Amino acid sequence: MFFIRYALAEIRRRPGRTVLTALGLAVGVALVVVVNAVSSGIDRAQQEVLQPLTGVGTDMTVARPLNTSGEGADPFTGLSAEERERLREEARRGLGLDLRSFAPGQRIDTEGFVAASQLSFPQSRVASIAREPGVETTAGSLTLDAVRVEGTVPQSGIAGARGPGGSIQFDRRSVTGVDVTTPDLGELTADQVTSGRYFDPARPRARDAVLSTAYANANNLSVGATVSLGGTDFSVIGISAAPLGGTPSDAYVPLQALQQVADYPDKVTKVLVRVTSVDEVDPVAARIEEGFPGSEVTTASDLAATVGGSLDDAQAISKTLGTILIIVGLVAAVLIATLLTLSSVSKRTRELGTLKSVGWSPSQLVRQVSGEATVQGLIGGIVGALVGAAIAFALNAADWTLEATVQSQAATTPGRGGGPFGLGAPTEVSEAIAISTDPSIAVAVLAVVLAVAGGLVAGAIGGLRAARLRPASALRSSD
Amino acid sequence: MAPGVQGSVVIDVAAVTKSYGSGRGRVDALRGVDLTVHEGEIVAIVGQSGSGKTTLLQMLGAVDAPTSGTVEVAGNDLASMRERDLTGFRRSVVGFVFQQFNLIPTLTAYQNVEAAAVNLQGGGAPAPRIADLLAQVGLGDRMDHRPAELSGGEQQRVAIARALVNNPRIILADEPTGNLDTETGHEVLELLTGVAASGQRTLVLITHDDRVAAAAERVVTIRDGLIVDDGDAGGAPGGVRG
Repeated sequence: MFFIRYALAEIRRRPGRTVLTALGLAVGVALVVVVNAVSSGIDRAQQEVLQPLTGVGTDMTVARPLNTSGEGADPFTGLSAEERERLREEARRGLGLDLRSFAPGQRIDTEGFVAASQLSFPQSRVASIAREPGVETTAGSLTLDAVRVEGTVPQSGIAGARGPGGSIQFDRRSVTGVDVTTPDLGELTADQVTSGRYFDPARPRARDAVLSTAYANANNLSVGATVSLGGTDFSVIGISAAPLGGTPSDAYVPLQALQQVADYPDKVTKVLVRVTSVDEVDPVAARIEEGFPGSEVTTASDLAATVGGSLDDAQAISKTLGTILIIVGLVAAVLIATLLTLSSVSKRTRELGTLKSVGWSPSQLVRQVSGEATVQGLIGGIVGALVGAAIAFALNAADWTLEATVQSQAATTPGRGGGPFGLGAPTEVSEAIAISTDPSIAVAVLAVVLAVAGGLVAGAIGGLRAARLRPASALRSSD
Repeated sequence: MAPGVQGSVVIDVAAVTKSYGSGRGRVDALRGVDLTVHEGEIVAIVGQSGSGKTTLLQMLGAVDAPTSGTVEVAGNDLASMRERDLTGFRRSVVGFVFQQFNLIPTLTAYQNVEAAAVNLQGGGAPAPRIADLLAQVGLGDRMDHRPAELSGGEQQRVAIARALVNNPRIILADEPTGNLDTETGHEVLELLTGVAASGQRTLVLITHDDRVAAAAERVVTIRDGLIVDDGDAGGAPGGVRG
């Protein structure tokens, strides 16, 4: 085909212009590939952060937090009378330890369970939420703190026991009872178990426990060991990956077992909900909050707002600056290609005029110039895609990490005291998240197509200019 | 065409003017030219630089348009034709030969001829015809050479083959020997007149060279945009109205 041979010959004839045009488009394409790879990597990292918060496959969680803005709230605690009553009811359960009843010098050695970060509520809520339209699956969980109090009440009284030099030790470990019949939905899913195994959904053993990696490492525990939780011994059957933020617990046991040993019969502190479609998230959340007074429904998008740190900053940057960068890069690349093509047409005025005088039609001239620019676009696109992919792989190899900071209410460190009223104190959990910047083949192909389109646009503009040349003027040109 | 034998009128130029610019910067390249050329004639247009001869030739080839007047070539009134029809006219009715050859430097001799043969669908003259033409102009063994690998005379031979590839009725040559030495120029001139005569084609050429003009059947002298002499250089007389 004459046109193709001619186009390739022209491209070889002016290597400098070809390289410049292709380079301009290559920069645009490389920008698209790299920015997309980084942006996707950051999005994946964000998902990685969010998934453990919601639970894998979970669309929303329902909890019953203490509300501090009720009517007639106590000026000191901020709690309404109703909330204070709920808190008292919570305190009567589990350990039920009133330290003020101990006399100076008296020895204390007791252990049991106390409420952690959320108030408990009837397990029947799990079933009622499951009946809401749009809900696919639900799973209840109960998170408590296994507390051991050991020591001697000092002569100064219990008030000074936890101060400097206090002799009473509080050992606190968070324990979550999970619904073992839903191994793919819950605060601990089967996927999270990194060694050992998950609970047997068909025949769960009441004294089986899965420990978090952090807790197991800190206490030199492994699969097969025995751990005492709230005064009850559990066999360690698995170790789970530690999720970031949320309410990571030190230990996970079957829900019914925890309800029994902690004396929280038919109580849960959280319901994990999976809806039938993404569109159902907001309506289902609204219906649950309406039907469950005082509840707090948290969706993935709510949690996204709680993620901070450099990861969050990077995502904000990649969403705004990255998009601008891609647009500016592509527009600049097409502009450069257009200018260079127009310059090329100017330099070939007599040649193009000659072709017109020997019978080439305007459309043939447009096709010829466009074809050449399109080939340059293809070269630039492929080079840009390869360079962009190389940069993305290089970033990947550099183990680039960003820090994610997530608000958490769990007090998970053994021996650390909780917040007021025995509830977990709000904390910030930070973790370095590795950013995987694998380039997308689909985006690379799209970017090449864009570069070819850019070449086509540049060629069409240059070709139209060539087509409008008056042959007599073109023939007078000295090139 | 044999002297004294006149074919039908193939070029009829009437009262043609051509002006460039406007106001005080206006230049009148042609100021009312009338010219008739018959089929098969070999006509030389002579004149000093800037006299308007190239402008006139370009109008005959439909690469320029007159400011006023009519140009009718091979029965086509060029002023009334649309661009699409003019493209077809340039492709099939006339063949151009330029002083500076105007070959495309990246293409071989064969491809340069092929460039003029491609039609709107990308096809063109069959390969044997292009090869025959190049052989006819003495370049049968130089078809794969690029212009930079050919001498000036060889390049002009390629240009002549390119002008002939669509089998035009009229060959328009703008100083075809202007960039060649005497001997090569003579060879090229012989080639041009030969292919014109053998194909019953009309040849209109522009030249400064009296020896080239002498090879024509008819010499038309143009000065300051006007035809001042339309003489017989040994061939048939042409019709002159202006």
